[in-house]
This record gives sequence, C-alpha cells and structure tokens, in this order.
Amino acid sequence: MSFLLAGLAGIGLSAAEGPAAVPATDSPEFFAAKVAPLLATHCVACHGSEKQEGGLRLDSLAGLSAGGEAGPVIVPGSAAESVLAGAVGYADEALAMPPDGKLPDEAIQALRAWIDGGAHHPAGRIETPALTPPFDPVAKRAFWSLTAPLRATPPAVKDPAHVANPIDAFVVARLDVEGIEPAAVADKATLLRRASFVLTGLPPTPDEIDAFLADESPEAWDRVIDLLLASPRYGEHQARHWLDVVRYADSNGLDENIAHGNAWRYRDWCIAAFNRDEPFDAFLRAHLAGDLLVEEGMSPARRAELLTATGFLAMGPKVLAEGDQQKLLADIIDEQIDTTGKAFMGLSLGCARCHDHKFDPVSQADYYALAGVFKSTQTMESLARIAKWHENDVASPEEQAALAAARDRLAEQKQQIDKLVAGTRAALAQAGAVPPAGAAAPAGAAAETGSATAATAEIPEEQFPDEVKGQLATLREEVKKLEGALPLLPTAMGVKEGVAEEARIAVRGSHLTLGRRVSRGVPVVLEIDRALAAPPAGSGRKELAAWLTDPRHPLTARVFVNRLWRWHFGRGIVPTTDNFGFQGEKPTNQALLDWLAVEFVESGWSVKQMHRLILRSRTWRLASDPAATATRSRAEEVDATNVLHWRGEVRRLEAESVRDATLAVSGLLDTTMGGSMLHVANRAFLFDHTSIDGTKYDSPRRSIYLPVIRNHLYDAFWLFDCTDGAVPNGNRGTSTVASQALYLLNSEFELGCAEALAKGILAAAPADASLRPTILYRRVCGRMPTENEGRLVTEAVRDLEGALAADGVAEGERALRAWTAVAQALLAGNEFLFVR
Amino acid sequence: MFPIDTRSRDCCPAMSRRGMLRAGGAGFGWLAAQALLAGESAGALATADAPYRVPARAKRVIFMFMKGGPSQVDTFDYKPKLQADDGKELPFEKPRVQFAPTGNLLGSPWKFRQYGQSGIHVSELFPHVARHVDDICFLNSCHGTNSAHGGAVLKLHTGSDTFVRPGMGAWVNYGLGTDNDNLPGFLTICPTLAHGGLNNWNSAFLPAEYQGVPLGVASRPATEARVKYMGNPRWSTAVQRRQLDFLSSLDGAAGLPADGQLDARLKSFELAFRMQAEMPGLQDLSQETPETLALYGIDEARTENFGRQCLMARRFSEAGVRFVQLTHSDGKVQWDQHGDLLAGHTEKASEVDKPIAGLLLDLKRRGLLDDTLVVWGGEFGRTPVAQGKDGRDHNPDGYTMWMAGGGVKGGQRYGATDEYGYYAVENRMHIHDVHATMLWLLGIDHLKLTYRHAGRDFRLTDVAGHVHHGVMA
Repeated sequence: MSFLLAGLAGIGLSAAEGPAAVPATDSPEFFAAKVAPLLATHCVACHGSEKQEGGLRLDSLAGLSAGGEAGPVIVPGSAAESVLAGAVGYADEALAMPPDGKLPDEAIQALRAWIDGGAHHPAGRIETPALTPPFDPVAKRAFWSLTAPLRATPPAVKDPAHVANPIDAFVVARLDVEGIEPAAVADKATLLRRASFVLTGLPPTPDEIDAFLADESPEAWDRVIDLLLASPRYGEHQARHWLDVVRYADSNGLDENIAHGNAWRYRDWCIAAFNRDEPFDAFLRAHLAGDLLVEEGMSPARRAELLTATGFLAMGPKVLAEGDQQKLLADIIDEQIDTTGKAFMGLSLGCARCHDHKFDPVSQADYYALAGVFKSTQTMESLARIAKWHENDVASPEEQAALAAARDRLAEQKQQIDKLVAGTRAALAQAGAVPPAGAAAPAGAAAETGSATAATAEIPEEQFPDEVKGQLATLREEVKKLEGALPLLPTAMGVKEGVAEEARIAVRGSHLTLGRRVSRGVPVVLEIDRALAAPPAGSGRKELAAWLTDPRHPLTARVFVNRLWRWHFGRGIVPTTDNFGFQGEKPTNQALLDWLAVEFVESGWSVKQMHRLILRSRTWRLASDPAATATRSRAEEVDATNVLHWRGEVRRLEAESVRDATLAVSGLLDTTMGGSMLHVANRAFLFDHTSIDGTKYDSPRRSIYLPVIRNHLYDAFWLFDCTDGAVPNGNRGTSTVASQALYLLNSEFELGCAEALAKGILAAAPADASLRPTILYRRVCGRMPTENEGRLVTEAVRDLEGALAADGVAEGERALRAWTAVAQALLAGNEFLFVR
Repeated sequence: MFPIDTRSRDCCPAMSRRGMLRAGGAGFGWLAAQALLAGESAGALATADAPYRVPARAKRVIFMFMKGGPSQVDTFDYKPKLQADDGKELPFEKPRVQFAPTGNLLGSPWKFRQYGQSGIHVSELFPHVARHVDDICFLNSCHGTNSAHGGAVLKLHTGSDTFVRPGMGAWVNYGLGTDNDNLPGFLTICPTLAHGGLNNWNSAFLPAEYQGVPLGVASRPATEARVKYMGNPRWSTAVQRRQLDFLSSLDGAAGLPADGQLDARLKSFELAFRMQAEMPGLQDLSQETPETLALYGIDEARTENFGRQCLMARRFSEAGVRFVQLTHSDGKVQWDQHGDLLAGHTEKASEVDKPIAGLLLDLKRRGLLDDTLVVWGGEFGRTPVAQGKDGRDHNPDGYTMWMAGGGVKGGQRYGATDEYGYYAVENRMHIHDVHATMLWLLGIDHLKLTYRHAGRDFRLTDVAGHVHHGVMA
C-alpha cells in the first residue's frame, strides 16, 4: 500500500485534523483523505501487489494510469467515461466492483468527485492516453475509395462512332489502350429481351417484340426504356435486387426460426420506392432514421413508410434464445453495424468488433463509436427468451379510429351485461332471494365491489329468470364476436430511439470485458469536416444518415452506382460489390465509376435516370457473341472474361426470374402486387420440431412476394443461388449443379408450367400441328423457329408420342403430354434461361 | 490473427484446374467440371500434395448427430462421486449463463460397468456400443459456448453460432473433392429443420457444389428419405431420355456460340440423369442379407428407423460419399430431457444403441472402419445437477462426443471433466478442436484450408481450434 504511505507522509495529513478539513476535490489532498482509504479497504486486495486481477493495480499512480487489460480505468475530469466509476456504480452486470457488494453511496460519490475534479494524485498526474487510431487517417484517405470521386472529362477515343454517351467514352478509351475494338450492337430482339429482363425481370411478350421490331423511328429505344421503367414490374425486380443487399427475410432463421410477419411491409415499400423513383439519398436516410424523419403534418401514409423503412435495422438474424442478454444485444448491434457498412459503404466494419481492422483503416474505437449510435437505438422489445423485436405502430388515422370505435362498441356491450346482471341481482335481492348456502362470491369480486353489494353478488346467475339468462347469453355471444372482430392495427418491424449512451470498447470483442467509453461517431477516416454530432439525448441515427448521404461521402454513391452496374452487367466495376476496402478488388475502370457516382448525386440521386443513362450507352447494347467483334482474337487474348466490356455478357437468369419467366411464358403469371403470403402469424414458429415446413409456394404470383424463409429457403430459389437473407449479398453467384437439372426435369412446378404452355399451344393451333412449333418458339424464345428447329420439334413430338404409347398412355392424351415434354425441355434450355 | 494464405489468392490452390474453369466465367460445379475433365480420374482433383494436406488417416466421415443433447454422466462419462453425492449441493459455482435454473447433484439412475480390454465404463444405456469401446475414443472433455439448442447446433455443424458459415461436410468436400462423379459428396439423412435447419449443411460462401444434399426430414421415417426431385412423377425413363436428347439438340440448332457455361449446363442434365439412375439402387436396402438387416436392428420396430439411416450411411460411404450425416431426432427435441430423464434417455438410447453398434461392426468387417471416421455426439451435454426433480439442463461446459475408426486410437477416454462431470478440465476440447482434429484425421490442416470471401480468408475453425493428437493412433 505504497500510495497510502506516500500520500499520508508526503502531505502530512492526519485524521486528527478532523472532518471540517475535507480538501477540495481537485486536489491531491482529496485523494489522500477520501479516495486512498476506500481503495485500500475495498480494492487493493485483488488489484494490488499481491494480485492483479484483470491486469489492474490500484495501489500506485502508475497502476491507476495504466489501467488493466481492458485499457485505462480513469479518464481524468470525466467520471462518466471512467471504467472505475462505472464499475463501483454497478453500471454493468459484467463489471460490478467490488464483487461482494456495492460500496456505500458516499464512497462512490467521493470517487466520482475525485475523477471529475481531475483525478489529482499526490505522486503526480494521471495520464490516460488519448484514443488515437493505429494509423494516419490523412494518409489512409488517399486510398482510392476513401477519396471523394471526381468527375473526369470523358476521354477522346479513336472512333467516335463507338461512343453514344460518356459511359462509352470511358469504356472505349480503355479498349483503345488494349487495341480492342468493341463488338457490334446486338439485334433489336436481343436488346429488347435483355432490357426487359434487366429492368423488370421478365421476358417481353410476343406483342411487345412485334411492336418494337416494327418501330423504326430513332426514338424507339428510348420509348422502350421509358415503357419498361414505368412498368410496376420494374420496381418489383429492382426491389428484389435491393432485398439481397439488405438481407431481407420473412423469418428470423438462425436458432429460433420465427416469422417476420410484418417484414413484407418493408418489401412493399421498397417496390413502391423504386417504382416512383424515390431519390436514393432519401431512400437511404429512411432506412437508418425513418422514425426520426417523421414530421408534424406529414401524411399518415408517409409516416407509415418512414417507420417501415427502419425495418432495415430490425430484420437481421438474431439468436433469439440467447441466454446471455448482454451478448444478444452486442450481437444485434454488431449485425446492424456490419450490414450498414456493407450495404451502403462496401465496408466490412464488423471486423473491428474484436480488434482494429486488419486491413481497412477502421479502429476498434471507430467500431464502438458506431456501436454507440445503435446502442442508443431500441431494436428489441424484450430480451427474455425468446426475445422479441420491436415493431412500430403504422396505423392510419382511419385504422386507429376504426379500432377505437370497435373498442367502444365492445365496452358498451360489456356495460350492458354488467347493468343487466346488477339490476337482476338487485331485483332478486329485493324480492327476498338468497344465494344457496355455501355459495361464495369470488374473493376478488367481493373485495372489489365492496360490502354493500357483496351480498347481492353472491346470487348466482342460475337463479336468474330464464328470460334474463337468454338475454345474457345473446349479449355475451355478441361480445365474443366483437372481440374476435377487433381490427389488428398494422405494425412494422422497426426501431425507435433508446436511451442515449456511449458504447464501451469490448476488449477482444468480449461483452464481459468492457473498456473505455467512446463518443458516438463515424470512422475517423471517413469524417467529413468534423466528428459526428450526435445529440446528447438522441441516438445520432439521423446524423449518421445525413453523413452517409452527404454528397462528399466518398463511398455511398460509388457503392450504389456500382450495384446498378452489377445488376445490368452481372459484374460490378468493382467486382466485390460489398467490399470497397483494402481487400476488395480495385475498380476495373475507376474514371467511369467516379463519373457515374458524381452524375448520380448531381442528377438528384435518381435511380431511373441512371438506368436511362446506362441503357442508352452503346456499351450496354453490344452483342454478346464474340464473333461480332472485329478484333476478336486480340480481345479474347487480352480480356477473355470481358472485364473491359468489349462485348455483351451471357448471363443465366437469377432464381426469381427463372421462376417468373417460366410462369409468364406459360400464361400463368399473376401480377397482383403486395401483401403477405406467410402461412403463420407474426412471431410464430415457421415449423416446430416436426421439421415440416408449411410454407406455401404454389402461387402464380411473382417470386418477390413468396416468403423468404431463412434456414429453409424455397428449393426453386436455393438451387439457383438465391440468398436466404442471412447476410447482405450484393453479388450472387451462378452455380451449375446437377440438382438444378433435377429440379427442371422433375419438379411439379416445371411440369405444371410446361403443361399450361402445351395446352395454350394446342388451343391456339387445334388442327394445324405445323403451326405449333412457331407458337412455342414465339412464346418461349420470343422469336420464330428456324426450319431446322421446326423439324426438331416435330420429330421430338412424334418420338415422344411413340414412347408414351409404349408406356400405355391413351391416344387422346398423347399429344398434350408430348407437347408438355417438349415445352418443358425448351423451358429448361439455355436460350430461355440465359440472357444474351 | 486471421490466417492469410500469402502464397495465393486463389480460393483453393489445389484446385487450380477447377479454379481456372470457374474463372472462365462460369462458376459451375464439380459435376460439370468432372465432365469437362473427362479422362482425368475424380480423385486426382483433390491432390494429396495440396498445401493444406497432411497425411490422411481417413477418407470419409459418418457423423451421427444426437439432437437435443445426450447426458454425458449417464452414458460415457462415468462419475462415481456423482453417484455418491446424489442430492448434495454442488460444491462449486454454476456457470454464469444457464439455460434454466437447476438444483442439487443428481446421481445417474443407470449402472455402469467396464467393457473390453480397455475396461472403459459405459452405462446400461449403451450395451451394444459398449462392446466396441476398444475401437472408440471418448472425447470426455468437449465444451462449447452456447447453452441454447439453436446456437449450439449451429456451432457444432458450422463452427459459428452468430454467422452463417459453411457446414463441416461442405468444408470436407471442398478440401478433399469428390470420390464419385455421380453422387453428391455430402449427404444428410433425415436432418432437422429446427435450430439452424439448412444452414447446418449449407455451403454458405463455399461454391454450391459442396452443399449438403438432404434426404428426407427428421420427422418423417427413414423409409421416405429421398433426394428431392430425384425421379419423375410423369415421365418414364424412355420419355425423359428422348426429352433430354431434344434438349441437347437445341443450342446447336439455335446457333448459340460455344460457351463454357452453356455447355456445362447441358452436361449437368446428363449427370443428373445418371445420378437418378444410381441413387435408388444405393438406397435399396432389400439387397442386404437378413443377417445384415438384423445387425442394424432393422427387423425391430424400435431400432428400425435409425438402423435404416445407419445402413444407408454404410452404403453411401462405400459408394464414395465423403460426408454422411445421420440425425437422431423426430417430432420432438430428441435427447432433451429437462424432466423425466429415466424414461427419455432409456427410450432414446434404445433406438440408436444397436444400429450404431451394427454400423461399427459392419464397417469393421468390410475393412471400411480403417479409413472411415465415425463421429457421435449432440450439440451439448447435460448438467450433473437436477432440473426439477428428475431432469437435467443443457450443459455446454463439459460433455462427451466420441470418434471411432479412421486413424482414431480406440479404447481410451481423452480429456476429462471434473469429478461430477460438469466442466471440462483436462485436455479440454472445444468444438473448434473437434473440427480441427477431424480435419487432421482426413489429412487436412485446418489452419491452411481456407476460402477467400468478402476480403478475408475463412476457415471451419475461424480463428481458433487445436488439433488434439492424443486422439489419434
């Protein structure tokens, strides 16, 4: 106990000077008088010369300065930020000291006062090192993605005929360097099919194809683009892309797979937002802070949308049966940070939970600065097993009024019953009726009603006249009905403001070893002008959203236009769409990416405008057949994988489009929009231990409306590389596995669609079989069959009818079956399932 | 801290040939790759000299998952002091986080006796398995981190209870490649959809070709366990053959340019067709002798279901499936006796004891046990203290799994719990260690088998895991 001796000897204080002489809290004498004794009595046994629990010694200036394994324990001048004050205040379950019982309030106050007073120690000053990032933020900002994009002048190219708009200038200039000439522009039918799938996820109908082919005006292409952008199918398809990025799902997945019964509201909002071209910056802000953007006088619909948008923060998978509630909270915050980082900035911020990021300039302090924002946000309603997420009330005034009215009716009805019962009892009592011996009113009832009516309350209803009994039965039946018919007010998964609080650094990521508190903020390397100004009483989400959508933010616009590029071409300009960090791939054409990013912001963050720009480029319209390239061999040598866009890309349809297109060409697609298709109630288990999943997928509606069940994604999606929304995924893979073939060959879905298609063909050409191949090809491939193809179809039908006859199929059924088999083959074929 | 393989940024250096094919713009699966590499033997792809390879003792795994958490102190972790102190207070602290409140020590209601040359104690619950103790290494010091089923099941299967990560069967196939062109390398028979479901056998960020293929689900009998979409409800083989011929003539007729991925797709149809021909035969247990069926308990109602799973596992293993998982579960959480331990564990053990013993014997007499690693265990164990009057709570802090065959040193108890069987105290094996040891036996260094995803190299064991060589012969 060296400091004690030092303190006492050095300053010459003694107890004899009495209580009147309490020194000022900002003096070393205060330490000696008030703090040293309590440390000696309560702390030093475990944090002294004998033992150093947690690597901490409290018996010397050096020890008090150095802190323990979790870092410094004292921030001079700020008890609120000091671990020591928090520990003795029993602020955290994980770090409550001393462990055998809380100190007297007086002692805690003394300790806090001493720290607030500057923590003056007789042996010198307590030095707590500042939180400095383990890198130079200024230097790191030189990294390509951390510098704000600049709009370069579109470069000159050798052959201006290859340039339709600035996109082409950037692409072709790069090709010029490599000595590659871009391919010819694809034919009109191919372009229409490509545009239709890229924008709406569906193939063009034969009529649409005819109309476009017939339109030889120079505006034909622009008109088609506008038509497709105006189609409600556009928002459905774009939203589906976006749902991958925000890891949308209709169930929690992970350990307890319960229904996100209201997630669909977020999904429907996304569809609507894309369809009306909500500016992306506003769209983003709603994701993080919609609840804080609600203003007086806003339309109820807009209010509901803004609240619904925050479902983004609530939809992540959670370990809902986690027994350790502190861990659960930390895991939820981690998931929110990681998703926000990946979705909007292409940064893997989650890596900094346990230590400074290994590759990117993101320190652990940066992580906990962001964690504070989410810690100050309430995502959960309850953490007790099974934990419940919060939902915001999104009812319109009409819905609220309807509920209030229904409740009033119910109360009125109940009142009527009470009145009738009381009246009857009073009348019976007056008439001299007595309750049967031994009958007792329920204790509670007697106590509540008071002694005056206690006697009458005991007359049981059996003694009521039959007429009254009948009336009561009818009234009670009515009550039941009214109760059953009470409208359920709509709620949406989402967040609200919690208690504003700075987060503490979890040493090695452990929520049990909490270190110093960090002011809420954003990664230092990404600060624009200044640190995040989170209001003392608010979470700081609104400020976070404003920072992300600041036109000077180096990542937000880049990451989004890169996503758009990925959706158009199958590969981003930055191929790692969710990683723009040091380990991500570099842009294949940074000047182009940056030009697009600046253009996006300056055009008012209009997504549709960006689509127009990209679709009008010549680059977008290139033929995918390498033979369409004059310098083909050179191109294939230099850039075999077409990174530089010297030709169009051949791409398999995504899972949803495989299904939707199959329904569409079979004539079965139902284009009803919106609403939930879950078979279970909100928060109910998707399936219990029986492992029988009752989710229904046998609907002809578009795939985006089918439930996304984590841990048990619909086969038709899972097999074709769809994501189950457990993590953000902006870059789905494209696998080719035999199980896809099995699905296409043997599933009821494919057989059913093929049969519908075959029926349609037979109905369209009931007599003349020679017309059928044409109808089939026009519907499925959007073109006329060649003579050879016509022959192949006819021969296949003939052979299949023979094989079916051998199988004992009746003659009258053979044609339909054979055409079904042929149609199924075409639906499984490459031409149908790939866009070229 | 992250294991960065600085030699190569390829996802898997040993499979450069496949990597090349994938980089060709297609990303197609092993089946297609196999077809394109016609003439090259399948095994050649999983080169034995890949940088992550170590000498292999086992070629394949059969993992028997006992869902719900079987009690170690009532099966394979004999604790005489627990019996002696039945009803007394636990003399040390219970874990900080418990699943449910518990009371005093609860002695095992079952008697233990010694078996084999090793003299290892096994309870009355497993009389048949007990005869194989000399082939088994009991991992008595297993411990995990999660006390709830969901997290623990995911941790056991994928190494992570908070993130979606590839299942261990997917990692094994990624590391070793296929041993049979016409079959998936990872089959999971009657898996449970609860507690992580598909994510327990999914490939996550690993290529889709490594994902587990489920046969049936937990609540349906093993007789109905089929690969979905295998077999056509309408077309005969002849019709489907003609349909496929038509399908394969389409691209040429349409004049589609030669393209690796289009070609690979067509080949995947042929492979699906062949798989469809091979699979039913493998599942047809009628080809087995009555003696074999009886050995697995398929002739008795109680053991029939799990017996079928075990026999299918042997047949799939023989046919070259790298990783076969069996799940002992049904409409309930099978081994989860929070109450009524006596009846519950008696019933559960009696359903699996004979089939497991039958599988071990059958593998042994066919010479398959030498290079087949058999792993048994649940997502955690149970507390030596009572929940209610006759139950046990979840215990992730000390429990038993076991391994047999494939390079395992049998006849030993590896690691130990305290004298009551609560906490693992000696040679502690975290689930990451079990994974690391399993991979080592398969000839894979868990530190080096990595996959690059989202800017970082991932491993089955994340940033942890130690190989326990004491488990090995």
